[in-house]
Amino acid sequence: MFEILYTSLTLCPIVAALACLILPGKSTRSALVGMTGIILIASSVMLIWNGPVSSTPAFLSSAKFTTFIQIADFALLGLILYFGIKFNNRIISVLSLVQIAVLAAFELFILDGHGAPAGLFCDNLSLIMVLLISIAGSLIVFYALPYMDYHEHHLKLTKTRQPRFFALLLLFIGAMNALVLTNDLLLFYFFFEITTLCSFLLIGHDGNKVSRENSVTALWINSIGGTALLLGTVMIYLQLHTLDIQAVIGKLQGSDAMLIPLGLLCVAGFTKAAQMPFQKWLLGAMVAPTPTSALLHSATMVKAGVYLVIRFAPAFQGTALSTAVAVCGAFTFLSAAALAIGQRNGKKVLAYSTISNLGLILACAGINTHAAITAAILLVIFHAVSKALLFLCMGSIEQHIGSRDIEDMRGLFGEMPKTAMIITMGILTMILPPFGMLLGKWMAIESAAGNLFTLLMLALGSALTVVYWARWAGILMGSDYKGESRPEHLPDMARYPLLTLLGSAIVLSISAPFIYSKMILADFTGTAAYATTNGVMANASGSFAVIPLFMIAIGVFLFALAKSGPGKKGAKIAGPYMSGISGEENGTYVGPMNKITGSVQSNYYLSAFFGEKRLSGVVNATACALILIMIGVSI
Amino acid sequence: MLKKIVEHSQIKSPWLVHYDCGSCNGCDIETLACLTPLYDVERFGVLNIGNPKHADVLIVTGTVNKRNKKVLKQIYDQMPSPKIVIAIGACGLSGGIFREAYNVVGGVDKVIPVDVYVPGCPAKPEAIIDGVVEGLAKLSEIQKAGKPKKEAIAS
Amino acid sequence: MTLVYALLGVVLAPFAGILVAGFDRILTAKFQSRTGPPLLQPLYDIAKLWAKEPMIAHRFQPLCVYIYLAAAMVSVALFFAQSDLLLIFFVQAVGAIFLVIGAFLVPSPFSQAGANRELIQILTYEPLIIIVLAGIYLTTGSFNISAIYAMDKPLLINLPLLFIVFGYALTIKLRKSPFDISASHHAHQELVRGVLTEYSGRMLALIELAHLYETILILGLCSLFWTTSIWGMVVLLALTYLIEIVVDNISARMSFRWMLKSVWTTGLALSAINLIWLYSGGRF
Repeated sequence: MFEILYTSLTLCPIVAALACLILPGKSTRSALVGMTGIILIASSVMLIWNGPVSSTPAFLSSAKFTTFIQIADFALLGLILYFGIKFNNRIISVLSLVQIAVLAAFELFILDGHGAPAGLFCDNLSLIMVLLISIAGSLIVFYALPYMDYHEHHLKLTKTRQPRFFALLLLFIGAMNALVLTNDLLLFYFFFEITTLCSFLLIGHDGNKVSRENSVTALWINSIGGTALLLGTVMIYLQLHTLDIQAVIGKLQGSDAMLIPLGLLCVAGFTKAAQMPFQKWLLGAMVAPTPTSALLHSATMVKAGVYLVIRFAPAFQGTALSTAVAVCGAFTFLSAAALAIGQRNGKKVLAYSTISNLGLILACAGINTHAAITAAILLVIFHAVSKALLFLCMGSIEQHIGSRDIEDMRGLFGEMPKTAMIITMGILTMILPPFGMLLGKWMAIESAAGNLFTLLMLALGSALTVVYWARWAGILMGSDYKGESRPEHLPDMARYPLLTLLGSAIVLSISAPFIYSKMILADFTGTAAYATTNGVMANASGSFAVIPLFMIAIGVFLFALAKSGPGKKGAKIAGPYMSGISGEENGTYVGPMNKITGSVQSNYYLSAFFGEKRLSGVVNATACALILIMIGVSI
Repeated sequence: MLKKIVEHSQIKSPWLVHYDCGSCNGCDIETLACLTPLYDVERFGVLNIGNPKHADVLIVTGTVNKRNKKVLKQIYDQMPSPKIVIAIGACGLSGGIFREAYNVVGGVDKVIPVDVYVPGCPAKPEAIIDGVVEGLAKLSEIQKAGKPKKEAIAS
Repeated sequence: MTLVYALLGVVLAPFAGILVAGFDRILTAKFQSRTGPPLLQPLYDIAKLWAKEPMIAHRFQPLCVYIYLAAAMVSVALFFAQSDLLLIFFVQAVGAIFLVIGAFLVPSPFSQAGANRELIQILTYEPLIIIVLAGIYLTTGSFNISAIYAMDKPLLINLPLLFIVFGYALTIKLRKSPFDISASHHAHQELVRGVLTEYSGRMLALIELAHLYETILILGLCSLFWTTSIWGMVVLLALTYLIEIVVDNISARMSFRWMLKSVWTTGLALSAINLIWLYSGGRF
């Protein structure tokens, strides 16, 4: 059963990707993509049903497969080298040459008797990741179907490039699923590199100058990560003579003898997760069509980095490296949140918020207690769902109003009532209790209380986060004071993914105690970090009444919504106070010579405090120093 | 019980918004003098709240002219009822010495319904406080009668 | 039993809040050599506003106001149920955010500017309160209020600097000078009451009610610094509130930039000193 599901989760999207490239016709492609999405969702749900497993399917241990992976590995690196030369980027060329050399030396001279890969390992963490990748990924792919038509129509392309686009999306999803299910470090490295290459190709999809430049940036930064991962892998093998991830973690647990390779793995995770100072590639990635951004930011790519660190967290538990990871993550959480405040480009705010939240997740992984790892996993889940939702909404809005500027979304409710409501709800799921993101943040702060620097940075970052989200959520729902809005047409393929994601953000948040006790707890030994009785998550240091709060919240929300219906009788509607000279239309006033003048309102972006120009230098320098310290403490 | 508290509160907490329709500032100074420690109208719960949307009592000083009558009307319209208007000083009552000027509409009652007239040039603080107290009696009447809100006279 | 305490808290908090606010206004008047309003003036104000004609500026305004009130009530209930401090604070933040969103709904320059300033106020006090709560955790080993009551020494002894930091947050949250930046108590002075400009009548009554809950919550948090004797608690609360009123009366309103800079630098420095002392194992 597990083997079949594994095949349909990994091989099926990869085969479908190839088919996308070959088969002609838009309808064939849509059907193919739709079918693959459905297969992915169904298999991931069945995988959950199947439960945690570790096994080695026959084809994985065959010599043919090993040879195939070896060849594919070199082909992949060769391809990256080719792009490095083509785009005349020396860093990419050098790093890929280094990787080729190291890999060749490793496979020819060092790797002995390790013929067969270590097989598959599927614990609850992997299960959660597969579920996220398959479901959120498929929804994003569904959404991309109408989106890309409009996108290409807008670009006035004569020849469609959609086959390439969808092939890459599907390949990406397949590689991610394989990555989180493998138990072999070398295979892990292979899929890690595939995601790098996919993201490079997807970011550069539009083929213009900016997207090409940004894709090259993504490639060279991720090449650093790839190199670090490969070096770490080789060093681990040199010392422990195994590439079996579980065996490695088991052997390293509690010892701080082998921190250097682990530090390198963390660096790989940090680059993939776009942590400071590697954030540049993810910010550049927003030039790509929105489904790409949604995929990169929510379930795939950046989550691969986070997954790597969470996976290896038990190996460096209680070491100086762990503290360093926590401090680096917390610093990214704080600094990315501060930078987000200075931004009025919606996609950039989303990008900074992704970086910031991943920082929080890594800080949790670094704090490395049972409660903190729980927080990290919960944050991974809720962030993936909410962020996919927000990016897809952002895509719809951008196509509709032709701008990414938050200020242009003022009163969006009047133009696009449905999308405005969905994105506002999405934003609220990011910052408010009792939703999952805040539950995760609560756990994070409670478990960070023992670490001064981490705590201070988390406290500051948490406040900054509230500001940039609330500011955005606030201006979306404002509109004509009568509260009237035009009917909005959302294509079905856009609406259902959005509603599904919003629904799952809420349902998953409600079931957080259940997710914890059924899914996360099983991966840990020893006493549970949280007791879940009556939907309250509690331990000695605090309690969060998830389900009671949800019941109150839903009740209050419905009551308040009933009180503010559109035609609420009796309530007089008065225009805004404009010192008594308000014009007929909303937000205007009677100016000099009786002229109707529009008032201009804008949010505070505080560029004197939080502008990119002001902060970037300091932040990057500090982050570099922190990364060096992180590597330093491992030596 | 609750109804009694609400009714009682109606006259215990008059919040003012003060609009100067182009007064010579004589009446304005006297109005603001009521808030000083000497007169201390906060004893009666009076607050100069300064926002029509929060206020119960509109205090108008000065002559209404063609330009500011729209402003006066809009401020009045933005006050939720029950609300009362107190016109202060000779100018507010009738246009005062400016009543014949080419741009003058006249007293406040040409634009919005006035409940209490406080004469004087300028009106004394004692008189203004007296006017507010008079107005409160009217306010509680309006509340008891549950009268519909009054519309402005001139459009 | 916890539920009874929580309900009792929710029912009694507004009355206590009215007394505190009324006392505040009388004392302020005395400082200005005035007589001041009757003690129950806040009650009269709220009851009057409640009876006014319903008037809104945007259809979603009531939604925001009701959620603001509910969040304030739930946070007070959680406080009296001796629940998790961090959770209480986050629930309270829901209300603060919805108040801001409600002000953002209306395209009035005053409420927009007020909403932005309110966000800066949240930005200023939120980290300080989280740090203070973490300080409490370091002393008691738990974020639960019940753990504080189990202590045999008052928290103030170990957290004197964090109490001052908390005082900053208290002043901002109560909208006292020099931090009454988003919404002054006197509209004619600043931004026509900023974040509150566009709320009127019944909506404003609910906001005032919610503000009473918030006052009680924040005083409740303050009382946690002296839990070992009732008299100690009363004296601490009275002194703190007295100082608040004095500061309110002697200081001018400052700009939000000044607030952000000065409160963060002073607050973070004070908390760092106090926390380092706690981390290094210092205890009285």
